[in-house]
Amino acid sequence: MRATKTMIGGAAVGACLLALMLAGWATGAQAPVGSGKASAKKSVCGLGTGKKATGTPIKLGGIDMLIPGVDFTTIGKTAKAYFDCVNDNGGINGRPIKYILYNEQLNPAQEAALARKLIQTDKVVGVVGNTSFAECGTNWKYYKSKGFVVIGAGVQAECYSTPSFAEVNAGPRYSNIGAAQALIKAGIKKLAIASPDTISAYADGGAALLAKKAGVPVKIFPTHLPVTDATSQLIQMYQFVGDGGGILLDFTPDTAPAFMKAAEAQGIVEKVKWGSSTPIANTFMSGQFSPKWDGHLWIDNEFSNVDPSVGPDSALMFAVLKRYAPTIAPQAFAQMGYLAGKFATNALLSIKGPVTAKSYNAAVINLKNQKTDILCKPYYVGKLPYHIPNNTNIIVDYKNKDVVVKNGCTAIAAVDKSVAQTRIWEKKFNLNTGK
Amino acid sequence: MTDLLALSVFGVDWQFLKPFIVIGLAFGGVYALSGVGLVVLYRATGVLNLAFGAIGAAGALIAYYLINHTSCPEWLAFAVCVAAGGVVNLAYGMVFGPAFARRDPLVKMMGTLGLALILLGLMAWRAPAGGAFARFLPLPSSEHRYDILGTSVSLTQIIAIVLAFAITAAASIFLRVTKLGTAMRALANDREITATLGVPVRRVEAAAWFGSGLACGAAGLLLPDLLTSLDYTALTFLVIASLAAALIGRLQSLWATLFGGLAVGLAQSVATPYASISAYRSAAPFVLAIAALLFLSRHRVVTVSRAGA
Repeated sequence: MRATKTMIGGAAVGACLLALMLAGWATGAQAPVGSGKASAKKSVCGLGTGKKATGTPIKLGGIDMLIPGVDFTTIGKTAKAYFDCVNDNGGINGRPIKYILYNEQLNPAQEAALARKLIQTDKVVGVVGNTSFAECGTNWKYYKSKGFVVIGAGVQAECYSTPSFAEVNAGPRYSNIGAAQALIKAGIKKLAIASPDTISAYADGGAALLAKKAGVPVKIFPTHLPVTDATSQLIQMYQFVGDGGGILLDFTPDTAPAFMKAAEAQGIVEKVKWGSSTPIANTFMSGQFSPKWDGHLWIDNEFSNVDPSVGPDSALMFAVLKRYAPTIAPQAFAQMGYLAGKFATNALLSIKGPVTAKSYNAAVINLKNQKTDILCKPYYVGKLPYHIPNNTNIIVDYKNKDVVVKNGCTAIAAVDKSVAQTRIWEKKFNLNTGK
Repeated sequence: MTDLLALSVFGVDWQFLKPFIVIGLAFGGVYALSGVGLVVLYRATGVLNLAFGAIGAAGALIAYYLINHTSCPEWLAFAVCVAAGGVVNLAYGMVFGPAFARRDPLVKMMGTLGLALILLGLMAWRAPAGGAFARFLPLPSSEHRYDILGTSVSLTQIIAIVLAFAITAAASIFLRVTKLGTAMRALANDREITATLGVPVRRVEAAAWFGSGLACGAAGLLLPDLLTSLDYTALTFLVIASLAAALIGRLQSLWATLFGGLAVGLAQSVATPYASISAYRSAAPFVLAIAALLFLSRHRVVTVSRAGA
């Protein structure tokens, strides 16, 4: 009897162990995200080996703004998710990337201190994934003096007018121009533009210039964040543009919904043509505002539609987020972080010899014809006095809780001389022509 | 009538101005509601509660969580929002009230600033701003809209204005007629003598903390609907407008606080269409509070002494 009990107990323990082993085998057999051989139909994280990198870490760093009403940390967090994926796929020739991300609160002293901490104390070889209302202006001279070129996502003028940044996004000024361009084409009679007051002059200036050139009366409404009187401001804008006019909102998903809810409450969704810059071009916004807003939006999207079926990079971004950053919803800010991470990794992998700040930033400058389905045209950096590589966008709208393409890839109007000059350089140096 | 419709107020058409008046009165009602709560608490305990906005925001966030992440019915979540204001305020009053009782009013006030910062930190920790979804706490009343004098007015806006008058009237009657109210007024005059006369000071103060907290919770429930978003930072700092209303009432008069709150709300909103002052409308609470304090103290005798004279 005792022997039988021992047998049963032994069998149970054995079965449990076997089950555990099987489970372990099953988990181990699961292919890691981003592994395999890169091809036109498949994107991988870095080398795609599926093996963990274990060498001496290569340090990269970033600075993202976080203030009430605006959260740009999604960009750095997604870049980190991509680097984590690279580290699980062989890293940079066996060396993992250690990404250090700092937050700042729209404070120039803090921005300057953090840039110096990254480069001088943390000894990062490159700065990646930065986004802020003011950091470009604060640090561009410092980055230039250290020979750093930041691959990030820009907001203010200095991000697109100094040699220190090569942003993956078009930024609010060019995105607003794209949206205004679409609204004017759709036949608006007047245009009202609202942006956060800290960036309004730069962000809205191009769209206003475009409207004036097209003979469309235009008015800018700078908005203090966090917004406490969305309804008042919205009524003010509506009173200016009237029925059939255009209202262009340039806010992140933290703030834009207040205006959109106010428009619903005031019953003016259908009376106006609504433009927006990129940040609200995602399914978590369309999920909240469709079907009421379906057909009424002209959102300039600096990237492809946020949809895994668009292409291999879009599919990989969804997979990377799911595995390494499950709390981040797929959206434009995630696309920015993904692209910043991908291009920085490509620069690192192109280095022959030791990875230093000098070799990494030289590799960044050499980046060109970086094809991805997330951008209309290939990304590049080049040795230029400023970089505006993302200057061709799409227009999207909401439909049945989804985001749909309204107008395909269109070059944004060259209201600024810098955009016209950029297109000359692109051809002259074959930066994005694929040659 | 036609003349009235064509009326222009300092260059802005009356028709254009009407919606701003409605919005301003609704916000003013909520400022007044909070302001009255502040005054009642100050009169009973000598504490100027700077955490009013944060407490209301915390209540609103709790209600948001209950509605969106549990099967709690909306009405219960709204009730919890109001009750949370009362409970948090009461808890602070009971724990820190006695310790601060003999301290300077400034010290008492700074204590509540600490509470505001702690609540703000907790909200940022548990419900960080940004991320995927903007938060809304719409009230069913916002679905009902009426056309009044050619302007669309929501039931929430009407409730905000009516509630402000109702609470002010109720608080005035309560303080004047009831035994508890009389005790609160006595406390405001002299805490020591009131205690000597056998008034249960702690219990009276507790009632003041809880009652004013309920007003704060009600404001926290109405504001996200009027703001069209649940932004706890914005809600926290809206205490400034309520504070201005209370200062206009010199922290004494409930009715002056009510009209002060309405004036602040109106000034902020009506300034919107005037391009030259629109950018400065957030300064309206300070400007009105300073103007009111200067006006109300114009006949006061100022005594100046020189040390060693």
